[in-house]
This record gives sequence, structure tokens and C-alpha cells, in this order.
Amino acid sequence: MSVSFSNRSGVSRRHFLRGLGVCLALPSLEVHGDDSTDPPNRMILISNNLGVLPWQFFPKSDGSNYALSPYLKDLQEFREDFNVISGMSHPAVAGGHSTENCFLTSAKDPTASGFRNSISLDQFAVEQLGQQTRFPTLNLGVNIDKANRSLAWTRDGALLPAEESPSALFRKMFVQGDRNEVARRLHRLRERGSILDAVGEDMRLFQRQLGKSDRNRVDQYFSSLRELETRLQVAGEWEQKPKPQTDQAAPKDILDKAKFFEKFELMLSMARLALETDSTRIVTLMVDAFATPVFDVSAKERSLNGYHNLSHHGQAKDKIAQLERVDHRQMQVLRGLLKNLAAVSDSGSNLLERTMVLFGSNLGDANVHNCTNLPILLAGGGLRHGRHLAFDRSNNRPLCDLFVTMLQNLGVETETFGSSEGNLNEIIA
Amino acid sequence: MQKTIIFIAILLTAVAVSWGEECPPAVSAFLEQHCFDCHNDVVAKGELDLANLGFHLDDAANRERWILIYDRIAKQEMPPESDELPRAERAELLKTLRRPLADADRAEISALGHAPMRRLTQTEYEDNLRDLLALPNLDVADLLPEDRSVDGFKKVASLLEISRVQLAGYLDASGVALSEAVASGVKPPKTRKWRFTGTDLFSAPTTYGGREAMFFTKNGRWNANPKSQEKAANENDDSPLELALFRSAAWPYYGYPRGFLAALSGEYRVRFSARAVRQLPGFRIVPAHDPLPMSFRARQPSGPDVSGDVSETGGWIDLMPKAKVFETTIQLNTGETFEYSLLGLPVPFIRTDGGFYYDFPPMPPEGHRGAAIQWLEVEGPLTPESWPPESHRVLFGDLPIAPATEQNGIPVRVVSRQPKQDAERLLRRFVERAARRPLPEDSLDVYLKLIRDDLNTGTPFAEAMLKGYQALLCSGHFLFLREPTKGDTLALASRLSHLLWNSRPDEALYQTAQDGLLAKTSVLKAETDRLIADRRFDRFVENFTDQWLSLSDLRRDIPDRRLYPEYRKDDYLVDSMERETRAFLRAMIRDNLPASVLVDADFAFLNDRLAAHYGLPREAGSAMRRVKLPDWSPYGGLLTQASIMKLTSNGTTTSPVLRGVWVMKKLMGDPPPAPPKSVPAIQPDIRGATTIRETLAKHTESESCAACHARFDPVGFALENFDVMGAWRDRYRGLERGEKITGIDPGGHPFTYFIGPQVDSAGTLRSGEMFSDVIELKRILKADPRPLARNLLHQFVFYATGSHVRFSERSDIESILDDCEANGYRVGDLLRATISSDLFAGIQRPSLVEKKSK
Repeated sequence: MSVSFSNRSGVSRRHFLRGLGVCLALPSLEVHGDDSTDPPNRMILISNNLGVLPWQFFPKSDGSNYALSPYLKDLQEFREDFNVISGMSHPAVAGGHSTENCFLTSAKDPTASGFRNSISLDQFAVEQLGQQTRFPTLNLGVNIDKANRSLAWTRDGALLPAEESPSALFRKMFVQGDRNEVARRLHRLRERGSILDAVGEDMRLFQRQLGKSDRNRVDQYFSSLRELETRLQVAGEWEQKPKPQTDQAAPKDILDKAKFFEKFELMLSMARLALETDSTRIVTLMVDAFATPVFDVSAKERSLNGYHNLSHHGQAKDKIAQLERVDHRQMQVLRGLLKNLAAVSDSGSNLLERTMVLFGSNLGDANVHNCTNLPILLAGGGLRHGRHLAFDRSNNRPLCDLFVTMLQNLGVETETFGSSEGNLNEIIA
Repeated sequence: MQKTIIFIAILLTAVAVSWGEECPPAVSAFLEQHCFDCHNDVVAKGELDLANLGFHLDDAANRERWILIYDRIAKQEMPPESDELPRAERAELLKTLRRPLADADRAEISALGHAPMRRLTQTEYEDNLRDLLALPNLDVADLLPEDRSVDGFKKVASLLEISRVQLAGYLDASGVALSEAVASGVKPPKTRKWRFTGTDLFSAPTTYGGREAMFFTKNGRWNANPKSQEKAANENDDSPLELALFRSAAWPYYGYPRGFLAALSGEYRVRFSARAVRQLPGFRIVPAHDPLPMSFRARQPSGPDVSGDVSETGGWIDLMPKAKVFETTIQLNTGETFEYSLLGLPVPFIRTDGGFYYDFPPMPPEGHRGAAIQWLEVEGPLTPESWPPESHRVLFGDLPIAPATEQNGIPVRVVSRQPKQDAERLLRRFVERAARRPLPEDSLDVYLKLIRDDLNTGTPFAEAMLKGYQALLCSGHFLFLREPTKGDTLALASRLSHLLWNSRPDEALYQTAQDGLLAKTSVLKAETDRLIADRRFDRFVENFTDQWLSLSDLRRDIPDRRLYPEYRKDDYLVDSMERETRAFLRAMIRDNLPASVLVDADFAFLNDRLAAHYGLPREAGSAMRRVKLPDWSPYGGLLTQASIMKLTSNGTTTSPVLRGVWVMKKLMGDPPPAPPKSVPAIQPDIRGATTIRETLAKHTESESCAACHARFDPVGFALENFDVMGAWRDRYRGLERGEKITGIDPGGHPFTYFIGPQVDSAGTLRSGEMFSDVIELKRILKADPRPLARNLLHQFVFYATGSHVRFSERSDIESILDDCEANGYRVGDLLRATISSDLFAGIQRPSLVEKKSK
């Protein structure tokens, strides 16, 4: 049997499907092992599920000469390396906090009966590009409620659980697995391979009974078999390849949820390490502010409430003032990421130039559970930056329009994604 | 000047034309005289260049062009001035052109078939696995990529492609299905029982919306401090503590019993005692006037928010004013609970003016409708009566099972004393069921070898067998449906069952086919009737309405909450619309209704919500019942069902153009040509200043636009009396002008809109027939049911065979119509006649050839 069986008393069917999601994302030979010289494009997608105070985040003027908003002043030195975008959201994605799982999927009406999530931006990209690196994507979380929340979803709407332990991530990336583990995974791949061999052999017999007009389908079947077999092989090769070296020491996990910003920073540094070593080219990171209890705003300040309660400030002055400090600290963390990426040289340029950094949220205004006018910031990736792109605030532009452009910039040939109605290719330099 | 140039061009091209030998001279002469002005190599209107077209009908693409030319002449669309071609001359011309076209088409059909072999669709693959493995609740369709579609149809042979993603999907889906089929242990999983009373009936002491949304009550009065001993309530307690609930399950909500979690996926039996109530001021409850529909929703217990899937389960249950015990079966996945979902009730809304809290919409005069629940029991997962389950026996017969010894993820060990013999026996049995026909021996050997190789290297028996099975479920034998040819009754059986059940033949049909009996018309008829009467026929009803009418898109547009606040969060209404249309189609076939019901009928299938929506006396309960309509009602017939009206609008506005085109295409079978590329679509004015008719009048000022719009706009105008959700309206709504209307919507939000200009629904059909409203239009359309019946036949053939009715097969359609005419073109008859026809049974039948060459 090529796939693991779910043990009904232990592993849920959903877990089982999740495991399969990995199998689906099989590598592509087109990229792997070819000698193309184009340096790869990457992306890191970050969402804080409680967002930011909108009036502090969005600039008041638009275009390339816009005046930086209070929050964006924290990123002043990178002004020409990012665009800030207003007036975007996912059409018909309403339902307050439940929308957090739809930030990268745009699946509408997440609280409706019969709701099923759809494929997320990162998984879609992998599906199209194939596996180019050891990890097709890394899905990370900070303080995340792993069972219920994730930015990454499979095509069939199954949640891909986030990794929230930097030390486990480090092991996965840099420490070679134990022999048995590798052998078991290889065995599974071989099983699939032998199934494909058998159906291929049988198809050669089957086609004798068919007429001329049916040949086309049979040819398609054979070429699909060949492509899939190649992908299985590549997956097997990765299993046996030595992992990259790093001089960085293995990190220690921070377990205290109150150390929210320290955890956030540590996770971003792991993400940077993953991109730098080309362990992956796509990272998703959900900052689960919702699941963050009372936390340290700074070394000297504790939050008045848990993050969620704080976000429902109800216009209370002390809460708003504290949220502003929280949001500023978050901008500092982002600034750190941009800085660290820019410091890494990559193919004659730097890692920031080669990495799209998306920061946003599924909530436009957490205080009133508003899911429109989402805060969106896109940096790096060699795009045309330095502008405030302001779309209609009462009739939002689909956020997926931006996703289409990001996909294209990543090398995916697509005109559509999720609820897109167009693209934002004006930001492609 | 321009004219001269064209004239010269014609002179030049006329010389260069070579029609080929086969083109009838009458045709070429006509085209050169009447069509060349516009369709030459210089002008080539409509991208038709007759100068270079040629007449090579054995080439499919060339033939398609000629069929298009034929059709446009036949429909009197070309030449543009119809008096250019007198009636008799037109008929003569068409007759001349018809013969070579039909001959060429027929030749291709006898060589290649009506449609090529096709693979199973996404839902067919799942339904096949469900039936093969006896796993009725299997859920693997989403592991496969969605199928492409044309006009909503997915069973289209030319579009059902195979790709590596598709193939990987089959590996995944078959793996999941097989793993679910294997017994989960030597003994069935333990069934657990839970009982909830008093405060344990709800996960929290309160929900969003405050006490008006939910509270505990005793003797009809609010109970401020429900005590723990109240939990002891039982069925004999005549005044137990009750959970009183007055809101829908829309977000945010905490509506599940306290402390329940399904540890295992499966079916759970829910028994509960409840009644329908009204909440009066002061948090008093009294019995309701009407039944209150409710259901359950399976979901993860993630607080007030939702994560993961939410699915309605357990069906609709009508609570009655007097407490009653109800029982239903719900489907839960591991880690899920279930919440009370009261249908059609309001939701509380968030307020942030001076704080942050949820408010409940104002109380109507008769009080808030709601439910009072006394107790609830859950039992599950339900286990089959015999063990191992049927699904396991499909794979391993009666071989004994023992506790697992291997770490291969298979929960049991299947014990075989003679593994090689058992493997062959079981494989043969499985293969014949799965492949829907016997497998050639050399093919069988491939799978047998796969299993034996594993057994030889010490792989456990069950693991080796499952691998063989999985391979077969990804093979051509399982994936492909072949077109029947003469005498291939097994292929015919599969075509029949995939039409009516979306899946494989059952044992009985398979046997009839294998014995060759299915070739007999009487047997085919009897089997058709048996399949239609079976509950699996619902799969046809669902898939056919989803594809033909695009009913699966019903939830695409959410009504604009500014213009149509009354529909806010009214999922119950949308669900009821869907059920109406499905019930209607089911009745069209099972009750053999005349084709004219597509446009008009004196009855409808209604429940309480739809009856209210249609302005009719309130029907009791949520079930769809056939109700006689009063004469004045504009409803009755598929044409004006709320689902159709919703599907043909965008949630904000309606457009006579879109609705008219939809009706011509889907119901009348007379699709208008594609709109010219250069003309932008009209934009209805939602301020309320101009009506759509005025906007459209400007749009169609030019004669060439008007000619085409005259084909569909009138029908669309008649439908303007139906708003975006299919409710009747005499006047339009707008956002700026007219009579101001304010209120509070079911989501508790204040609204303001304006009642604007009068709807004008009068029109004149191309035939010259005039109508003043939709009721008169229906009368006109109903008078000639043949086009309606013809269109249905075309839809049936497309759905059943994966290919459109071919040119040479049009005469078959006409003869079916002739046969069904006397009885008023009844829909059941039309479907049965399609199945009995040569179109369905496949090519290379001598009878087919004979009939056509007449």
C-alpha cells in the first residue's frame, strides 16, 4: 500500500488527508536539476489575524509621493522597497474571526453551512511550480491554535497544520533524519511507483480494445503516468540527499506565549534561514494574535488584556494607546525581517530583492470585525515599489488580484486565482 | 468609394474560389450571389471567409462551419434581410445542403462513434467507489481536481482529460477509500452514549444577542439561576428546565451541547425532545403558532468562531408547538461536535456605538419565533449489524481477521492460509465488480503479479491485496466509460447506470447485461423504470439540475444588503429554492409531467418559507409539498421558480438581457449568437433614476442590435416582475430616488432604500405575439411545447452520452418527438425514449443506418 492507513482510534481522517497533501505536491523536474540561470523568486506571506489600527496604518495620500503613515514611518528606510495597498479585501469573505483561515484562499462565507475552504496561495504556487526545494513550502505559526487555524489549505479544503517550534524546524532543515524514517518514506514512494508501473503495463493491453478516437485519452494517460513517475523519483532523491549546513546554532523554543514578539522574531529568523539555504522558497506565517493571552508589549509593559480583548478597544483611550504601541513593535519586527533579508546577498542582488514579503490581515478593523479594507503591505521581490496604491474603500478591489500578480512574479503562469477579477501587474517593474 | 473597393474585391475573389467537386452547384451559386458581399476574404464578417472555406465535409472543422451556415440560414438569420430568400427557395437550398452534411456526419459516426470514450467525472468516481465499496458516506471527491464544463455540463467526453494531477488524485482518493473500507479493528468500535439536560444542553450560559437570543426557562418563565439538580430531567418530567433558543446558527454562536466531541468519524444517532415556541416580552415563552424547522450543523467546537468545515447534517426537522421526541442520524468527523441550527431565524448584530456588544433585532408583534429543548441524547458511532463491515467483506470476503501485528497502518491482520489462492479468488471477484465488465486474463495477470510479488517478499496479505486493488482503481478499466456498440450490453448497462445513478450498475442490472437480455427493448425499459424508482435516482436529479440549470451556482451571489435587506442571512430561503427545483425535476420524470411545465404549471412544490416568498398562504413545515396554485399566481413552472430568478440575476440587479438569453438557451433550446465583442454590456442604474427598459432602449437603438435583442429581451422583460431572489415586485428599488423605506433587517441592521419606477413587463415576441405580463407570456410559450421538448431531448443526450446531438442525428430527435407528441411530450417519456433510442445505445447498429438512409 502506498499510502499510510488511518488508524481509526488515533489519527483522524483529516490528518490522513493532510499527509496526502504533501504527496500531491510532488517535485517538478522542469526546475529541479535543470541549468537555468535565473535566480529563483521567493515569497513569505504573513498575516496577523487581528490586524492593526487602520487609521494609524493607512497613509492619507496616495501615489508615489504619499506621506508615510505613523506606522509606516517605522519602515522609512525601506520606503522604496515596499508598496502599501488600501481598498482591498476578499469579496464575500465575511464572518469576523472565521475569515482568518481564508486570508490566502479567498473562500467565501466561512461561517455558512456547507463551507469548505479552498486552496491557499502558497499551495497553489507549489502545485503549479512543482517542488523545487526540499520543502515545497514551510507553514509557520506564532502562538497558533494549530488544530483550527492555518494560512495553508489544500485543494480539498484540508488544513495544513503550522509548525510553531523553531527547534523542530531547525532539525527538519539541517539535521538528517534517522535511517528508519527515511527508509519508511522511501518504501511508500516505491509502492506508488510499482502501482504506476502496473497500471501502465495494463494500459498497453487495454488500448488494444480501443478505437482510433480513443487513442488521444490513452496517450494522455501514458504521459500523465510518466510525469507522475518522474515526480516520485525526485521526491525519493530528496529523501536521500544531504541537508545543507549552517553555522547558526540550533534555536531554543520559547514556550511562554506572553513573549509574543520574541517568538515572532525567532520564527522570522528561521524563515530567513530557510530562504537563505534554499530549503524552501515559500513561507507562510500566521501570527495568531487571537490565541495570544496577556503579553509583553515591551520589557516594561504588559498588555491590559489578552490580544483579542485588546483589539475590541471599543474606542477606550488607554486600550487604543496600548494597541498603537503593540502595532509599532510589530512594525519594528517587520523592519528587522526586511533588514535581515536585505543583508543576505543572492545572485548578485540581495535576498529581499528576490523575496516578496507580504504582510496583512484578514481583518480591516478588528474592533468591529470588519473584513474589508484589509491592511496590505508588500515588500521586496524585485517589484516596482514606493507607492501607496489606493483602491475604492467602499467598493474594494479583490485581494486576489494582487495574488495573481505575485504568482506571476513567482513564475506561475496564471491569469486567475481564487476570487480574482484581474491583476495588479502595474507593480511589476 | 468603399462600395467600389468591395465590389472589386468580390470580382477578384470570385475567380479564386474553389468549392471542391462535392459542393452542390445550387449551393455554391446561391452563396456567391447572396453571401459573398459580406463573407469574403477581405471583409469576412463573423470571421466567415467563403472564398477560402472550401467544401471538405470529411474534415470535422470544415463540416462544423457548414453546419453553422446551414443553421443560420434555417433560422432565417441569414441572409440578414429575410425577403432576400423566399420561403420555398430557402427550403430547397437547405434540402440540397442537408444531404451531403448528413452523409459526411454519419460516415464519421460509423467510423468513430457518436462520442469518444470518456473518463468518469469527479462525482462519478466518488459514487462508483461508494457503491463498489459499500461506503455510502465516503467523501473523496475533493481529492480530485474539478472537471471542466461547457454550458455547465461536466460529462463532456472531449473535456474529460487525464493529467498527472488527475492521476495523483486517483491514487489519493482510492487510497483513502480503501483504508476506510477495511475493518477498523477486530471488534467494532465502542458505541458511546451521552445525555444532555438542563444547562448542559448549551456549551455556554449565554450566546451572542443577549438573553433575547437564548435563555433557560422553566414553566415558560425565565430561570435566572438554573441549578445543577435540574439536570436530572427525564422524559417523564412535565416541567423540566428547557433551553430556549431564538436565533439562527450564523456567526458568532456557541450552539452545541456541553462537553460532547466525536472521538471517531461516523454516524451518530441523536434523540431529543423539543417544541416550537414564541418569546413574549419579559422572557416568557408560549407555544408557537406554526412548526419551526431546525437542523444540526457538524463543526469543530472552536468557540464562537468557526474553523474548518461546517456542514448541515441530520435533515430538516419540524418542531411542533407541543413537545415531541425526534430522532435523526448525523454524520460527524473526528473532533467535531454539532450545533443547533434553527432555520429562518434572525441573527444578532454587533454594535460599537459606545461600547461593544451584540444586539437582537426588534421583537415582532407575535413575539420571537424559537425552540425550547428539554433533553438530548447522542449515541455513536453507530456500528453495522455485522462485523467486519460489508465494505471489508468486499475486499477480503470471509477471511478471518486478527489484531494487527505490522506497523503498516492497516488496523487488522487478514488471515489467509493459502495466500496465493485467496489472492486470486478475491482479486477476480473484486475486479469484475470494479471494472464493470470481465477483465481479459492478461490484464488480470498484471494485478495478480503485483500482489504476488509483494506476497513473495513477505508483505502482509492485506497490504498486498490493497495495493492490487488500489492499482485497479487507477486503471483504465475503472476510469474509462466506453461508448456502447451494437450488442455490447455491458457498456450499455454502464451508460444507463451512469446516467440515472451517476455510478456503476448494481448486481441486477449487471446480470441482465451479462446475459445479453438488456438488448431487448422490453428489458431495457423495465431496467430504466427500476433505476428511476430507486433512491439513487436522486443523484441524477442533483447532478442534472446542477449541470443543466447551473443550480450548483445558486449561492454564488449574495443579495445586496442595501437594496434587499429582508433576505439578509436567509439561508433557509435559498436552501428551499434549491429543494423546490430538485423536487420539480424529480416529479417531471417520475410523475411523467408534460414538457410544458418548464414554462407553466398550476402547482408548485412549496414549504413554509417558499409559500411566504411567493405571497401564498403559509404552508406548514419545511418539507416540499405539491401545492395547487391559485390562477392569479405568476409562479408554477420551472421558468419562474425563485432559484432560476436568483441564478439569472447578480444579487443586486436583474437584466432582461441575461434572463432572456438564459431562457432561450436553457429552456427553449434556441441560443442567440454571441454578442459582438465591441459593445459593452449594459449597466443597470441602482440609484433608481432610469429603468432598465430605458437603458436598454438606448443600447439597442441601432437596427442590427435590435434585431438580435428582439430574440431574447421580450422574455426577459416579462421576468422583470421578479426581483433578484424571485419575489414579485411591481416597482423597482433604488438607493437614491423614490419613496423612502426604512427598517431593521433580520441581521439587526438598520436599512434605507427607495421604491422607484414601475416595472413594465409587456413585450412582443418575434412571432408578433404580444403579452402584457409573465402570465400571458407563459400562455404563449406553453401553446407550442415541441421546442421545449426538443430542447430537453438535446440536454438529455448531451448529459447521457457526453456529446451534443450530431447533425445527422437530428432526424432521430424529430422522430422521438413525433412519438411523444400524442401524449403531450411528457418528460418521463422523453427520457425513456432517449434511452431506448439508437443515440443512446451506440453506433454500428444496422437499424441505425437503415433508418437514417431513408
